[in-house]
Amino acid sequence: MAAGQPNRLPHGGRIDRSQPLAFSFDGRAFEGFAGDTLASALMAAGVSLVGRSFKLRRPRGIVGSGAEEPNAIMQIGEGAAAQPNLPATRVELCGGLNARPTRGWPGVRFDIGAVNDFFGRVLGAGFYYKTFMWPRSWWKHYEHAIRKSAGFGQAPDGPDPDRYEHMNAHCDVLVAGGGPAGLMAALAAAKSGARVILADEQNEFGGSLLASAASIDGVPAAEWAASAVAELQGLDDCVLLPSSTVFGYHDHNFLTIAERCAVHPGSSNGGGVRERLWRVRARQVVLAQGSLERPLVFCNNDRPGVMLASAVSTYVERYAVLPGRRAVVFTNNDSAYRTAISLAGAGAEVAAIVDSRFGGGGRTGPAGELGARVQALGIPVLAGHVVSDVAGRRRVTGASIARWYGDSWGNVRNTIRMDCDLVAVSGGWSPAVHLHSQAGGRLDWDETRHCFLPAEARQAHFSAGAGNGKWSLRECLADGLRAGAEAVSKLGLKPVAVRAPDTDADDGENPIEPLWRVPAARDADRCPRQFIDFQNDTTVADIRLAVREGYRNVEHVKRYTALGFGTDQGKLGNINGMAVLANVLGKAIPEVGTTTFRPAYTPVSFGVCAGESVGELYDPVRTTAIHEWHEAAGAPMETVGQWRRPWYFPRNGEDLHAAVARECLAVRKSLGVMDASTLGKIDACGPDVVEFLERIYTHNVGRMKVGRCAYGVIPGEDGMLMDDGVMARTGEHRFYLTTTTGGAAAVLDWMEKWLQTEWPELEVYLTSLTDHYSTIAAAGPNSRSLLEKLGCDIPLDKESFPFMTMKPAVLAGMRVTLFRVSFSGELAFEINIDSNDALAMWRKIMEAGAEFDITPYGTETMHVLRAEKGFIIAGQDTDGSVTPVDLGMNWLLSKDKDFLGKRSLQRPDCLREDRKQWVGLLSQDGRTVLPEGTQLIGDTGKPTAMCGHVTSSYFSACLGHPIALALVAGGRQRKGETIYAAQAGRDPLPVRIVSPVFYDPKGKRQHV
Amino acid sequence: MSETGLPLPGVEISVRSGRGYLNLRLDPRRGQALEAAERILGQPVPPAENTFTASEHEIYWLGPDEWLIATAAERVLSLGSELAEGLAGFHSAVNDVSGGHVELLVSGADARMVLAKGCTLDLHPREFAPGQCAQTGLGRAAVLLAAGDPSIYTIVVRRSFSDYLRRWLANAARPYGARFPAR
Amino acid sequence: MLLIECPWCGPRAETEFSYGGEAGIERPADPYALSDAEWADYLFFRSNPRGAHRELWNHAQGCRRWFGVERDTVSYRIEKSYRLSGAGSGRPAAAHIEASEEKRR
Repeated sequence: MAAGQPNRLPHGGRIDRSQPLAFSFDGRAFEGFAGDTLASALMAAGVSLVGRSFKLRRPRGIVGSGAEEPNAIMQIGEGAAAQPNLPATRVELCGGLNARPTRGWPGVRFDIGAVNDFFGRVLGAGFYYKTFMWPRSWWKHYEHAIRKSAGFGQAPDGPDPDRYEHMNAHCDVLVAGGGPAGLMAALAAAKSGARVILADEQNEFGGSLLASAASIDGVPAAEWAASAVAELQGLDDCVLLPSSTVFGYHDHNFLTIAERCAVHPGSSNGGGVRERLWRVRARQVVLAQGSLERPLVFCNNDRPGVMLASAVSTYVERYAVLPGRRAVVFTNNDSAYRTAISLAGAGAEVAAIVDSRFGGGGRTGPAGELGARVQALGIPVLAGHVVSDVAGRRRVTGASIARWYGDSWGNVRNTIRMDCDLVAVSGGWSPAVHLHSQAGGRLDWDETRHCFLPAEARQAHFSAGAGNGKWSLRECLADGLRAGAEAVSKLGLKPVAVRAPDTDADDGENPIEPLWRVPAARDADRCPRQFIDFQNDTTVADIRLAVREGYRNVEHVKRYTALGFGTDQGKLGNINGMAVLANVLGKAIPEVGTTTFRPAYTPVSFGVCAGESVGELYDPVRTTAIHEWHEAAGAPMETVGQWRRPWYFPRNGEDLHAAVARECLAVRKSLGVMDASTLGKIDACGPDVVEFLERIYTHNVGRMKVGRCAYGVIPGEDGMLMDDGVMARTGEHRFYLTTTTGGAAAVLDWMEKWLQTEWPELEVYLTSLTDHYSTIAAAGPNSRSLLEKLGCDIPLDKESFPFMTMKPAVLAGMRVTLFRVSFSGELAFEINIDSNDALAMWRKIMEAGAEFDITPYGTETMHVLRAEKGFIIAGQDTDGSVTPVDLGMNWLLSKDKDFLGKRSLQRPDCLREDRKQWVGLLSQDGRTVLPEGTQLIGDTGKPTAMCGHVTSSYFSACLGHPIALALVAGGRQRKGETIYAAQAGRDPLPVRIVSPVFYDPKGKRQHV
Repeated sequence: MSETGLPLPGVEISVRSGRGYLNLRLDPRRGQALEAAERILGQPVPPAENTFTASEHEIYWLGPDEWLIATAAERVLSLGSELAEGLAGFHSAVNDVSGGHVELLVSGADARMVLAKGCTLDLHPREFAPGQCAQTGLGRAAVLLAAGDPSIYTIVVRRSFSDYLRRWLANAARPYGARFPAR
Repeated sequence: MLLIECPWCGPRAETEFSYGGEAGIERPADPYALSDAEWADYLFFRSNPRGAHRELWNHAQGCRRWFGVERDTVSYRIEKSYRLSGAGSGRPAAAHIEASEEKRR
């Protein structure tokens, strides 16, 4: 016996006794061995109390040995690297591991909340719904208290220091589960030349073979598994993923696998990867995830020391831990007999096997080799009996045993007590059909095996092994081989003949007899609690209550009683719960059916979902060719779509308002320069380009002369404004189109869609030039002087190069295209240049502009300048419900042609006179800058309808007062009217409706 | 490459500079447009989906009527005007897009793994063999990915996404020991 | 995540595509001949069937081609994907969507 490990067996198991590992649990120091899980190490150390239950705070112990564990839920690690809610059964032990139970305050051994357990029946199903619903306004007080006492682990308190990554993979056959069936399926597929991925949630392949006393092909089962793995490793294109849970089966054979790469949270600090998400597209899938043992439902069946029989076997055989010294084995099927044999072999006393079946072998136990072996070991078998209750609070001390007459709802009498510290239970087996169900596969209730079996598959997958209802080892191996070969055939490959291995395991099975609820000494609503879902404290009485209160549908009962929620998602309790529900409703189990299986099969960390898309890689950041200059200038950045644009360029510690005021005045008075490279740019050419653009844009495109520019808007077919921008006719059959920054991709898609699906007869090619060209806007009265100073090979005077025209030119020795367009209302030139040369051009401009005090400006100043001029920003002043007419753009709508959206403008709704129309607003107090989005109302006082909202709002330094743009019902006819802007916590502010053009309404300044 | 001709372990990433690009649109089913373009380019314009030809230029298939021509930067102006002239009689479009692209090379035995972290294509050499190319996603950016010699991949990405992609690649390659400055 | 067969590029992950709604909605030749109700029907109303559904997809991150897909709205199974017959052929396409020459692969 190892020091401090009173329950450790001296021999056997897959642990390494030469590698002791120190760890702490609940503040106490312990030691285990390499190869242990946290659960097996705790059990070896004699810790039987590992947590408190969710609602009733009952003491709980370890029940299972894998993903099904409902009780031993741990907080692992500290601080930012902490991981909440891991079942101890899935935590590989490592040195220095620090674990705390997630529940139990102030500690797991003394929990104040345990008084809940004594409040009798008060805390039944729906307790919270019923108690805290009124008065309604008090919920926020209730919630605070409830949240504090409820719940699982604690969220880490800082950014996760660990590294996670995603990996996309493709394979011919994905095998989920590396037990006997999965190994055979993988061998069959990989040997036939298929690309195979084999994933298993355990750190070693083999599944049940690792805890099996059987031999295969003459060697111990675990040894056979190791040789199968070695064989797979030697094959080409076979990827083996241990510690990897296939947790999601999505559409079109897309599966997600969470791989645990580093054992300890925080341990990937060195740059390694903590967890990896595999995103696998598999042509065929073999589901070999095994089966889950069901507990039995009797009074106080949640007491520490009541465990799944298969888990007991696993602790004994795989981890060399003896979970108890004197055991009672309670079963309704054969498999627990192997547990009794294991226990006896490890030196425990098996007080009795309590078998509810009357048995093929009469009242002495099952027929066949298992029965004989049990008899030979001298283990008494009480056939036709049940365990109806257990004694002990923090640890089982005895079991009450009664005769079973086949009536779940009767009362037991004349129980006998048997002392024990372990009750190993088996209520039969349920195939792990989760992935099959996620893939849309049907489930059929099997009347002889008493479980749901995977039926017809909806995607390309096969179920195999225990997950397919094959309980014996020989059947599992054969079924895995069959599934692997079938998958290979579906791929069109020729299956290579693989021999099914031989096994000595006992395959003679006596049939299970269902036992969904064990009767108690008192009736079902008054007896001690009979738990169905340990994690949610759902009992038989809760389900009966739900039915009494009118719930019939299994999905409703689930939500009312919390059956099947939580980190274990009802892996132990669901089938028992459905069976009890069916029983109470007087229906057959298949009539009640199951709840829906959804991903994830086991909990998945947020870290692995996010992968590497965190921090600066969270979303692509698009930058212009001039970006590094903006950064060096210290400009704060604004995110526009995925673009990062300079917001303003502060000088000498200016704030936003001071900088924007200065930038605005500079443009109006002398010279400003802006990086407008993010605009979308499209080359459109072809013999039918005019006809095409006539249909897309609202104005008369055909009337534009070569070299002319025009402002154009693109409505959707519903008439609502979609995007806008300046376009230029660069040739007889060629146009250069610009879009908004955010609309570039959508506009190109929109045009291509019409070209490709509706008007393929039109010969037009569209090419995106957004990234190729950078655009520098020089704006202000001195912009012409700037260009002249830079040296331009074409005349720039008003007559030679009028407003709204474009020309190719050589500027400062570089090839550019100049556009005389203006988004500020000032004399302006937009310089389009190959992005490779853009930064050099920008630098030359800054140098040449020094004498005009050239002022770089950002998006905020651009917004103010355009708002002063009453230019819209699509997406800010519009929202998909605004027509060009609403915006006062009737002048843009050609009467001579049809265009997309034109017919919709005649729909009655678009003709309503009270549609919201775009207008200007002036605050009556002359100083309040209305928050964008402010609601507008017609009058004050009594509750009143809203008549519009503010879309843009700024302080205009040039005008010396705030300006706002707004959509107001019938606004254009209401100019001069005073309405009110709602203000949070203050009286509404009177505002006057005015024209949306605040500055230079005649547009003289841009024409100079 | 090592002396044995096998790719070295790990991954190397570099930027290929001095490149120019032309976008070519024409309908290969009509007239002699394709032949005219090939005469000017001096090499086949790949008619097969998701392939490229490499000679003086690399010509990548982008769509059934669209190709990207990558060539030396100083060749772009003349090649562009030769193409525009030669194709004047056909419905076609030739655009200089040199400023719009950045080209990266990713090579080494682990190159495929690095790319697979952010690309949903099946990059198994049987499925994505030398001579094949694809427009697809890498990380969260759209890219043109081409397979050269075994374990050498070319990535052409839009300029505005190139900073992001370089960071993405540098991060993805770090566990494989790559040294690659993100900027 | 769906695996969608682009008729040009072959099977690709759904993330490379953008959805374009129901296929076969033909734009009326003369919108002004339609009553408001008929126009609204063209504009807003879609068949939304349970089962086979013909829809448009765009290989946005790939070859930028629009194409047709027949997808089962219950099982999400894609029965076929096809080029739009009119593309580049001088014939209107949306009205006569049919399977392309042959399905690739």
